[in-house]
Amino acid sequence: MSILSLNNISFAYDSTPVLKDLSMEFEKGKIYCIMGRSGAGKTTLLSILSGLANPKEGSIYYEGKDIKKLNKYTFRSKYIGVIFQSFNLITKYTALENVVLSMDIAGVKGIKKKDKALELLKNVGLNEEEANRRVLKLSGGQQQRVAIARALSYDPAIILADEPTGNLDGDTQKEIMEIFRRLAEEGKCVILVSHSPAVAALCDERYELKKIR
Amino acid sequence: MYIIKNALRCISRSKGRNILIGIIVLVIAVSACIGLSIRQAAESAREDTLSTLSVTGTISFDRQSMMSQMVKPEEGKEPGSFDREQFSKLMGSTSSLTLEEYQKYAEAESVQDFYYTASLSLNGTENFAAVTSDTEEEAQSFSNMFGGKGGMADRFNMASADFSIVGYSSETAMTEFQEGNASITDGAVFEEGTAEAQCIITEELATFNNLSVGDTVQVANPADETEVYTLTVVGLYTDSSDESGFSGMGMNREDPANKIYMSYNALKAITDTSAAIEDNENVLSASLSSTYVFATAEDFEAFEAEARALGLSDSYTVSSADLTAYENSLTPLNTLSTMAGWFLLVILLIGAVILIVLNIFSVRERKYEIGVLTAMGMKKGKVALQFLTEIFAVTIVAVMLGAVIGGVTSVPVTNALLENQITSSQSRSDRVEQSFGRGGGGGMGQNMPAELPTGNSNSFKNMMGQANNYITEVNAAMNLTVVLQLLGIAVLLTLVAGMFSMLFVMRYEPLKILANRD
Ligand SMILES: Nc1ncnc2c1ncn2[C@@H]1O[C@H](COP(=O)(O)OP(=O)(O)O)[C@@H](O)[C@H]1O
Ligand SMILES: [Mg+2]
Repeated sequence: MSILSLNNISFAYDSTPVLKDLSMEFEKGKIYCIMGRSGAGKTTLLSILSGLANPKEGSIYYEGKDIKKLNKYTFRSKYIGVIFQSFNLITKYTALENVVLSMDIAGVKGIKKKDKALELLKNVGLNEEEANRRVLKLSGGQQQRVAIARALSYDPAIILADEPTGNLDGDTQKEIMEIFRRLAEEGKCVILVSHSPAVAALCDERYELKKIR
Repeated sequence: MYIIKNALRCISRSKGRNILIGIIVLVIAVSACIGLSIRQAAESAREDTLSTLSVTGTISFDRQSMMSQMVKPEEGKEPGSFDREQFSKLMGSTSSLTLEEYQKYAEAESVQDFYYTASLSLNGTENFAAVTSDTEEEAQSFSNMFGGKGGMADRFNMASADFSIVGYSSETAMTEFQEGNASITDGAVFEEGTAEAQCIITEELATFNNLSVGDTVQVANPADETEVYTLTVVGLYTDSSDESGFSGMGMNREDPANKIYMSYNALKAITDTSAAIEDNENVLSASLSSTYVFATAEDFEAFEAEARALGLSDSYTVSSADLTAYENSLTPLNTLSTMAGWFLLVILLIGAVILIVLNIFSVRERKYEIGVLTAMGMKKGKVALQFLTEIFAVTIVAVMLGAVIGGVTSVPVTNALLENQITSSQSRSDRVEQSFGRGGGGGMGQNMPAELPTGNSNSFKNMMGQANNYITEVNAAMNLTVVLQLLGIAVLLTLVAGMFSMLFVMRYEPLKILANRD
């Protein structure tokens, strides 16, 4: 059974239609790749999947339940981890503080959040000094890693990533993809947006978005 | 709670802005603290003194109401014509209450104590003369001024009376002695309530007549030299407070040296004897003044209604000279308090506007942060709460610092402002005095009857003796009330300033904020 499914989704910014009659299924333990040209609506689709935007038509089901009926804050803070294209980190906080904050918001309890955050950051390749540096003073690639670590921090069932490897060199790209693979093996559903064929090749399923007129 | 942790972190990460907000709040807090302290000082000055003050009141004839009664034209009479007959009728029939009436009103529940004095003017005799400070010439000119013998002065037997005899109902009535202004220097005071013709006289008078304790003196009816009374001098006294008011002109009895004190009963014995003389055309009559003592100002306020219920007519008014004097003494402090109130209001309004503007800028600047937090699933209410906490934390620190600074400075500032206020109101009253042709230092004191019994407080005696004896100093302005009021202001400012941030936070949609940044 799919963990997330889209049924006949349509979306428009004011009068500009972006998505039309879109249906997709996502399952646990798989990596999905959403491809398409720039402006095709990939980011818009991720916004809808993460509950930030509401589709004009159609509905989304999370484990069979219409997400309209779920608390959108709980959905965002616990069930879904989003790695935004522009990272959306709080730049005046350190990398570590950003990760801990998302655990706080999700209401993670019973573990040493700082230790967990440090471990997560180490796993994506940040050392302790970098972890305690303000995000503003980290490179784009490092910020990308912080965003990944943050999305994983509260152990969500679904990971959404908007061009997660866009800022990374080949080797690092591979490293990151390995992380996603590990997550999928753990039973998570990973949904990536990418226009890189190399990335797409490493995914289990691919969806192609076409620009609508 | 992570919201507080975040709030504190955010404060420390934007030091510049928060220091600016803090300084503004600090200025507001110090000003508010001083303003509140002034108001508090006025309030406590009032309460403190009122609670320790035993208020005295008197019942007096309401001349104004009598006048208005007279001005009413009657049937068949020319309007506006002064009706001499009616005037004296009114004066005679209603102007003075009898002792029985005074005593009846003393039954009122609010009255704590009641005493009365009677006073009488008597003349000296051959071997008992009044202390006189004026020359023959002056006395003569004074006499001429009033039309000489048979003139007005004679009619009221003013120029001829030598002594002012005062009879006291009890020792409590002898306020000069109670307050320590007057004291016995030789012998002892007459027995309380005695009907024996015992009296005490001033040392000055004793020296003048070469008298000592135990001697007897003779005084006469000013209108009839053959009507003589013998008094035994049982004590000598001095009165340090009584220099005021005496002009040294004409009337010897006005000279404090010529005051003779005795018991009310002894004085009544004299007037009774005088009344008992057959065909006496010049019966001595004493004028009565009674004083009601009240435990509190509230009791005094209650007294009038109670006295009215006991039958006091509307032609009489109830008044308290010491309460009035006391209220007057508070005038500068009260004026200052009112000004402080307005100042406070203005400061708070300006402060609130500045804080609102600063917060709106701040929240707009943090739009992106709000977007990130809500996108990550933080409830808008919690984001708003975090922002509110930040404002509150900065405000509360600034307010506490302001309270400390205000606490240290409020007393000297209040006193300096008070002094300023008193100076300006004094120069105003001096100007009034001058334009009325009076010398300086007159004012209220001049309107006070010289023998008015006062409360048991020295300061009040002084207050009435001098023109402008205001409360000139406060020694504690800050108290818990002020601190609590300041905290209230802090909360209020936070809410006012925060309300707008709240509105912004609630309005923002994370998608739009985050999208705009791309
Ligand atoms: N907030 C927005 N308001 C209006 N139009 C938008 C907004 N965000 C994106 N669009 C438009 O929607 C289309 C899809 O954008 P997007 O989802 O960002 O594409 P992609 O991520 O595939 O490049 C584009 O034409 C873009 O101009
Ligand atoms: Mg995009």
